[in-house]
Amino acid sequence: MLSRRRFLANSVLAALWSAMTGSALTGSAMPGTAVGQAAAPPWRNWSGHLKANPASRLVPSTEDELVSMLQSTRGAIRPVGAGHSFSPLVPTDGHLLVLDNLNGLVSHDRQAMTAELMAGTRLSDAGALLDDIGQAMYNLPDIDRQTLAGAIATATHGTGKHLKSLSGYVNNMRLVTPFGDVVDLDAHNNADVFHAARVSLGALGIVTRIGFKNRAPFNLLGRTWMEKTKTVIDQFEALSSEWQHFEMMPLLHSDYALVIAHKETSDAISPMVEEEDDGAFLKLVNATPVALRGTLINTLASDIEPAEGIDVSYKSLTNLRFDRFNEMEYSVPAASGPECLEEILDTVKREATDVTIPLEYRIVDADDAWISMFNGGRRVSISVHRLARYDYQPLFGLVEPIFWKYGGRPHWGKVHTLGRQQLQELYPRFEDFVFIQQSLDPEGRMLNRHLAYVLGR
Amino acid sequence: MVVLAGCSEPPELEPLAAENYAAAFETAEMTPAVQKKWARSCALCHVRGEGGAPRVGDLQAWAPRVAGGDVRMMQHTVEGLNRMPPLGYCMDCDLDDFAAMIHLMTGRH
Repeated sequence: MLSRRRFLANSVLAALWSAMTGSALTGSAMPGTAVGQAAAPPWRNWSGHLKANPASRLVPSTEDELVSMLQSTRGAIRPVGAGHSFSPLVPTDGHLLVLDNLNGLVSHDRQAMTAELMAGTRLSDAGALLDDIGQAMYNLPDIDRQTLAGAIATATHGTGKHLKSLSGYVNNMRLVTPFGDVVDLDAHNNADVFHAARVSLGALGIVTRIGFKNRAPFNLLGRTWMEKTKTVIDQFEALSSEWQHFEMMPLLHSDYALVIAHKETSDAISPMVEEEDDGAFLKLVNATPVALRGTLINTLASDIEPAEGIDVSYKSLTNLRFDRFNEMEYSVPAASGPECLEEILDTVKREATDVTIPLEYRIVDADDAWISMFNGGRRVSISVHRLARYDYQPLFGLVEPIFWKYGGRPHWGKVHTLGRQQLQELYPRFEDFVFIQQSLDPEGRMLNRHLAYVLGR
Repeated sequence: MVVLAGCSEPPELEPLAAENYAAAFETAEMTPAVQKKWARSCALCHVRGEGGAPRVGDLQAWAPRVAGGDVRMMQHTVEGLNRMPPLGYCMDCDLDDFAAMIHLMTGRH
């Protein structure tokens, strides 16, 4: 009987994420090479909507090799990490520079609690590497397949009122310029370039090493539960103080959100049980017209059970729960978050937009990287998602102007339409960043069409 | 790489792509260089079975995929499927590399 059914919070989230709604895109790309040739297939990003046929793929295994490659090649060059950006930062007809072989721990300082890693190291590998030397990153995003270089190039972040984006914890970096010059950066050496390079869009050159300020390893108690979105907003200040990492995922068309919260604990590890979803919730949602979906979710909300578990931080904060999607995310001043969220929820409901993937509402502390979304003050990031197999334009086109009303800054790695003219109004140091970029890369080797638009070059 | 048969099957391949994919399996070779690429890409998910990925060498889990044919598995690898991204996190793999990796993981190496 439905009335007795209990849905696990995580399963409900996964079901909504995988919901089959909307109009599927069609079309298939084919390799652009002749039969029999050892062919590289077209490059595509994680979601699959960005494609490119680079002239070559450069895969340096050492910094010396990288220098040699930069000095011996001509034409455009774009670095790629894990391909997790939804904005077209990577596509190029020139050289695609793959960082994967530049990975691993370089050095660490026990006293200062810092560690330097090669920039192609994946976040998913960094956790164990740092644990082995008695360190842990302060915070992580929910997807951890990105390379460190890609993550900080776009100010990738997790959530937490007193926690910064990954770029906010960068202590030092090594940059190889487009001319092949090797430059070490920190707050005292080449300080301006350092402040620009902590969020660089991969436009200043190739970052090969990144030093992070870390902390001692820690375990996190994770808890998920359903709550009315308005209640969470009303209690956000207290909840985000009580829980070190705090976010909610408002379920579109409904009054409810799934709350995901973590706080430090000394209790023993007891991982959250990820039970298989039997599809019942998804079937109910799909069988319900959009106009009635809110009523359905509101009615079933009390049937969705909380879940809890304890694990080491780098396992607690990350997951591979969801199918691939495209995403738009803007960060608005923290005080504007509730009003912006409310307008998005109301607009999607009013327009009866047939989307079920929840929004994501996170909080991130201020940092001072020049073009970090969080430069100058604490912000709330609000994300809108569309499964990769559907056209995201109608939804994102509906929501993006709402973000603009509230002073939103687009996540550099996610879909947005802003160019230099708008961006210089959002970032006090944007023109300084452009100046540094032009100084390091006067020929524009590090640009593609998207970056030329964003930087106005 | 997660090569899954699921609810979001990719669209039909164009003939040239299918020919290219099939040809790659004829020349594929598991060299130390390909093993290294496998270790930093496919292994991210296919060793522990993360995200629902069939584990390397789990012949039972791979059987339905193998039954779909090599070309179909290559298409899934190149275009992505469900939680597996296009190229399975290997940005510098060519089709021969992918073919060798598919044979390795499906116990046909």
